[in-house]
Amino acid sequence: MFKKILIANRGEIALRVICACKELGIKAVAIYSEADRNSLHVRFADEAICIGPPRLSESYLNIPAVISAAEIANVDAIHPGYGLLSENANFAEVCETCGIKFIGPPPDIIRLMGEKEKARAAMKKAGVPILPGSEGVVPSAEEAAEWAGQIGYPVICKASAGGGGRGMRVIRSAEELAPLFNAAQSEAAAAFGNGDLYMEKFVERPRHIEFQVLADAHGNVVSLGERECSIQRRHQKLVEEAPSVMVRPDLRQHIGAILQRTMSDIGYVNAGTVEFLMDEDQNLHFIEMNTRIQVEHPVTEMTTDVDLVKSQIAIAAGERLDVVLHGPVVYRGHAIECRINAEHPEKFTPSAGKIKTFSTPGGTGVRVDTAMYAEGVIPPYYDSLIAKLVVRGKDREEAISRMARALEMFIVEGVYTTIPLHRRIMADPDFRAGNFDTKFMERFLAAKKAEVDAGKP
Amino acid sequence: MNSKEIKELVEFLIEKDIAEFELERGDVKLRVKRGVETHVVAAPIATQIAAPMMSPVAAVAPVAAVPSAAPPQEAAPAAAPEENLHIVKSPIVGTYYEAPSPGSPPFSKVGDTVTAGQILCIVEAMKLMNEIESDVAGEIVKILVSNGQPVEYGQPLFAIRPR
Repeated sequence: MFKKILIANRGEIALRVICACKELGIKAVAIYSEADRNSLHVRFADEAICIGPPRLSESYLNIPAVISAAEIANVDAIHPGYGLLSENANFAEVCETCGIKFIGPPPDIIRLMGEKEKARAAMKKAGVPILPGSEGVVPSAEEAAEWAGQIGYPVICKASAGGGGRGMRVIRSAEELAPLFNAAQSEAAAAFGNGDLYMEKFVERPRHIEFQVLADAHGNVVSLGERECSIQRRHQKLVEEAPSVMVRPDLRQHIGAILQRTMSDIGYVNAGTVEFLMDEDQNLHFIEMNTRIQVEHPVTEMTTDVDLVKSQIAIAAGERLDVVLHGPVVYRGHAIECRINAEHPEKFTPSAGKIKTFSTPGGTGVRVDTAMYAEGVIPPYYDSLIAKLVVRGKDREEAISRMARALEMFIVEGVYTTIPLHRRIMADPDFRAGNFDTKFMERFLAAKKAEVDAGKP
Repeated sequence: MNSKEIKELVEFLIEKDIAEFELERGDVKLRVKRGVETHVVAAPIATQIAAPMMSPVAAVAPVAAVPSAAPPQEAAPAAAPEENLHIVKSPIVGTYYEAPSPGSPPFSKVGDTVTAGQILCIVEAMKLMNEIESDVAGEIVKILVSNGQPVEYGQPLFAIRPR
């Protein structure tokens, strides 16, 4: 087992890894930028090294600085957390070259899953259901029409060279295909210098469902079930839960078995999350894979009793999965996580500054993962996540009422937070009924706006 | 911090005539308050530090067990502004070396007069030797780190009296 680990991250996830290290008797080394000097992850690490000024590129994303810190602290391994360098294959390679164990999959696997088209091809080959798509670029509207005719409308065309909605058009019938396709091509050419488009089946009301996997270095893989993450705003998740009301045990078992075989075949190691889109007919389609621990990992931990971060460390240290997991995965109860951001709950503008009051809820089945504290300062340089409020109940109904109770008892003063927004989501009839998709927040916010406008004189 | 480091720190504070100083690092909290002509009750510092403090230092308040010296330690940057000394800080994380190679003469020593841009030392990071230049011209008053010591970003290395 490792004696010392450097955590190449900040905020709540750095603290999360430090927790796992402390419980395993491993020394934790924190790195920090000048803006994070008074952070909780610095406070609780065994050693802390300042690696640069506030800007990410000069500190947390600065590979030489991170590796240099690892060398002078003489660590055995680096845990990259999520975001930042966690899916940077180059960084994983540099760690290897320097004789430091990177806690995650091998660099080649990170690279494979980082290239969307290659990942889709690999998963398709392995038998994982993927969203029907053109195999590569569709050069003309005529070919697009032919392809769409086979797959069935609605379809979407997307730019190969870039994203952000540019060069993207949803096409719902053969009549509107040609003009929309051509418009998308022009837009893509203007935005990215490259008008190439590829096509995919379009799902009007998809649900985002992802599966957690753990794999050891000896070819053993286990699926730990799914998480439902459809409550999103602008592709940023707000609320996650486990299990999903839409996934019956046989589907969970079926996908789990496919993933176990697939991950083993491609040589996956350590923790990973396979993301799917569920269509209106409840079919799952592979979208992409994240080769790291995810923000919402606590909902899986709360319903399976598996400590995913400790598992990551143990796997990286060479332990076999049956030792890491102590038995088959058992699902109990229902967990929900609300991401609390330092943002205005209606305008979503970021709210940096000093926190005056920070009183976290407690009681049965409540977990708060946070690196914030009273008198703490939220720096303006990083993301606005200040806490993850996670609850577990014996069923979904109890989990919702527990979350509503916990949100009410979470007091933060000095900055705006999205706590009021989450309270309204928990009270929403569609949310409570489990009746939602990834467009939920759009409708929710539009309804709220309509309410406000109607109330105006 | 070990007793040698604390002793050096206290000497530095006396030399610079600092009246009050507080340092908190991990489990160690050190508070030094100097009076004139006072005699000290040297509170024994718990566990690993054996040497008692020397006068004319007043109350030294030790706290809890001292962890093994975590690289890198903080020096006393608070002293400099009062003396108008310019502090040259490390621009990178790495290991401080006083000379270009083992056995060769050091780049600089206390008392040297240096020009802006003159190489003061090396900080090695990932097997690359980075030459650290002085950003001012002046006299080196104090070298704040020792050869082979790990240093962090922003760590004070040299105190220079600018000309």
